[in-house]
Amino acid sequence: MAAQSHDGDVAIVVHPDTPVNNLTLAEVRKVFLGERQYWNANIPVVLLIRAPVARERNVVLKTIYQMSESQFKQYWIAKIFRAESATAPKVVYSNDMANELASAIPGAIALTDVREVRPGTKVIRVDGRLPGEPGYPLR
Amino acid sequence: MLSRLLPLLLVSLVTSPLLAQSPPQSAEPEPSIQGLLDRVEQLEKRIAELEDHERKQATTTPPADSSSQTGAGIKLVEAGASPAPASHSEHMGSATEEREAQIHYPSLQIRGFGDVDFSATDQKGSVSGFDLGQFVLHLASPLSQKVSYFGEVSFTAQPNTYEVNVERTIIRYDYNDYFKMSFGKYHTPIGYWNTAFHHGAWLQTTIARPQMVKFGGTFIPVHFVGLQAEGNIPSGALGLGYNLGIGNGRNSMFSRAGDSGDVNDNRAWVANLFARPTRVYGLEVGGSYYRDKLTPNPGTNFDEWIASAYVVWNKQRPELLAEYANVHHRDLQTSETFNTTSYYVQLAYRLPWQEDKWKPYYRFEYIHRPGVEPVWDITGTASVVDLVGSLVGVRYDITNYAAFKGEYRNFRQGAGKPRVGGAFFQTAFTF
Repeated sequence: MAAQSHDGDVAIVVHPDTPVNNLTLAEVRKVFLGERQYWNANIPVVLLIRAPVARERNVVLKTIYQMSESQFKQYWIAKIFRAESATAPKVVYSNDMANELASAIPGAIALTDVREVRPGTKVIRVDGRLPGEPGYPLR
Repeated sequence: MLSRLLPLLLVSLVTSPLLAQSPPQSAEPEPSIQGLLDRVEQLEKRIAELEDHERKQATTTPPADSSSQTGAGIKLVEAGASPAPASHSEHMGSATEEREAQIHYPSLQIRGFGDVDFSATDQKGSVSGFDLGQFVLHLASPLSQKVSYFGEVSFTAQPNTYEVNVERTIIRYDYNDYFKMSFGKYHTPIGYWNTAFHHGAWLQTTIARPQMVKFGGTFIPVHFVGLQAEGNIPSGALGLGYNLGIGNGRNSMFSRAGDSGDVNDNRAWVANLFARPTRVYGLEVGGSYYRDKLTPNPGTNFDEWIASAYVVWNKQRPELLAEYANVHHRDLQTSETFNTTSYYVQLAYRLPWQEDKWKPYYRFEYIHRPGVEPVWDITGTASVVDLVGSLVGVRYDITNYAAFKGEYRNFRQGAGKPRVGGAFFQTAFTF
């Protein structure tokens, strides 16, 4: 991983085969909102989100979704039952689990504390910046 | 290891209810048994992970420093091989996690929606009282990575029985984000409300739908049977998307779709284009066009064109929904034309205190139809009347999955008719 260590930054990690290295924050939002559901025709996006209480989840809700916990839950219920998405994000209970699954499931994307990024995943740039770089938006 | 973590677990269990009873600091500090059970489950998982981690360190295996090493571990699990007991144990946790995280096909999810209502109005001859609203079951099931099914069934209380309706049944094939093809029965993609909010009253802010998209109403064809293509349009920051549909359109009873077949040889079609600009997160604007040929009685035919547009700001502070539609009918025998116009504007605001539970709202609605409109005037099918009115209310979210709503409405239905006021209450929930 090429990123410098920076306390508080949350890295976006994906499966190594995911055909993306850099996303704008708006594109990250589209992915996490379920508006972009495929990386390409053969690789579906698999969202992995930390369970409530985790700091990574708070960063996702505050920066990406801009929703409260209850709004987030209501958003996904409505999304699935509008038939816009077949599945809700998978819940992961630790950064280890997020790393493990992101490295194992093609198309998986997860957020993890930058200090806990493990080999086997790919860290993607957000707005051209890696965690630890000035102006990185997820912290 | 476990003995070191037990005090942590106990402290967490003891302090969780105390913290939950302290003044709210987060968005959802609900001190419920389910919440505590979830917390226990999390802590148990965390203990298992820490133990697993410790075992890994004890094996003196150096930490993986390349992606290929982790990849090999996963391949090992996928292949079901277990070269040595230590290695097997190492990967048991992740294998289980991976299996749980993988989507299984089919994978049926069922969600129910219900509501209980009370109404009292000053309309002559009306009776105040409770009613059960609609009991709705939503079924969603991915059938493969690219194929999914969705169904919706409603049960509506009638004086002597319950009316059961298949509201939606859709099988969809996803090619990619730009092209998804589906077949079945839909909520017609005309405007915003009709596809954003379905039969569960919990999904919508207010108690009732606007009159122009009312279930059982005839202003727009709420349902549509046929096929639909949908997807995103590569458009950068504009965030464009589309729906294109062709199908049976309205039945001879206009409030119903052509579930069992079309009433004539002309298919209805609908085109919907919308934009969700990425730079203005929360904004959605769109417009649609719908075309059908109506045959309310044998030998009586009308062309129908419905044009609609909407603008939505779907953040909660504030929430703005504004929608406009014009229904144009042309008598194919006389070429006489008739236009009925409707719009509504709804404003709501999620108050930032008491854990965001309160959401006051207001809506203004308007429908204007010609005095003589042969389609709406056909006996037994017409329900479109001149309407002007507004409602004001408040929604209180008791939990993430249930809400109380109370509203006051003041409407005039029918030109020259007196205004009617009424109080309405609802508890709506999903389970």
